[in-house]
Amino acid sequence: MPKFKSKRLPVRIDMTPLVDVGFLLLTFFMLTTQFKPTEEVTIILPSSHSENKLPESDVMMVNVAQDGRIFLGLDSQHLRARLFGKENELKASVQVDKSQLANYMVQARTMNPKLRTVIKGDREAEYGVVEDIMDVLQKTQITRFNLVTDLARSVE
Amino acid sequence: MAGGDVAAPKEHGKKGKKRKKGKRLGVRIDFTPLVDVAFLLLTFFMFTTTMSRPQTMEINLPPNKEQKVEIAESNLLTLRVSDKGSVYWNTGLDAPKKVAAADLRALLREKVQSNPKLVVLLKIDRMGKYNMMVDLIDTFGQSRVERFSLAPLLENDKALMAKVQS
Repeated sequence: MPKFKSKRLPVRIDMTPLVDVGFLLLTFFMLTTQFKPTEEVTIILPSSHSENKLPESDVMMVNVAQDGRIFLGLDSQHLRARLFGKENELKASVQVDKSQLANYMVQARTMNPKLRTVIKGDREAEYGVVEDIMDVLQKTQITRFNLVTDLARSVE
Repeated sequence: MAGGDVAAPKEHGKKGKKRKKGKRLGVRIDFTPLVDVAFLLLTFFMFTTTMSRPQTMEINLPPNKEQKVEIAESNLLTLRVSDKGSVYWNTGLDAPKKVAAADLRALLREKVQSNPKLVVLLKIDRMGKYNMMVDLIDTFGQSRVERFSLAPLLENDKALMAKVQS
């Protein structure tokens, strides 16, 4: 298009507000990001249609790996130090034997009565292990607990 | 951004020198890299912030294991699951029948509708997968089964299931 405008005024755009908002968003995210604690063991969750959310605090998690290993985890570093010793306080969960499980759980609940028990099992884990864990829970009077699952996306 | 001063987004004429000196040079600082890094950081945090929490399924166990609850046979539906995942059902003391996974939900819904007092007893082979239990409890939730109970799968249960196959 050979038609040129005769006069071209220089246009200056002040981008201060843009950068301001950018920095504000950045600050927001910097302050609200919580990093997930590194897991001791990778667990692939089964799926369900339940939409209850995992509670944010006071969670005692019994992780069951695919091969049947049991890891007991607590979200409070302070509790972890008291229960598993200072050297283990940075680990998200500690491997425990089935026989020690009852003991640890009762101790944890005495230290924090508000603890909620959650079982996070791998979908390919043997049912027998989970059956035993639920037996232990029943014996230690922990009658309410949750199972961690992935939300099933399909509409059935 | 028609022909704007894009290279220098912020014209911050930083004149650090005091007026005492005679000649003052206009200093123009280009803030492009700063803003670049800021937006990069922002993008990083936007992608790594986890806002959603994992889902859970609620289970309530009876308080005392020794308590025996009396249920009439007609109100009891037993589901036996083999280690391979095949499901066999029966009411009361009838013989178990195999049910396909896809039909299970319809079957349960029908049973619950015809008998609101129905209690479902779930027995899963120890060698089965944990996923089977979660799936079944999930199916219970979807079929409106309100009361269910878990029990160990014993040898005679396995024998019953084997009989059905033959």
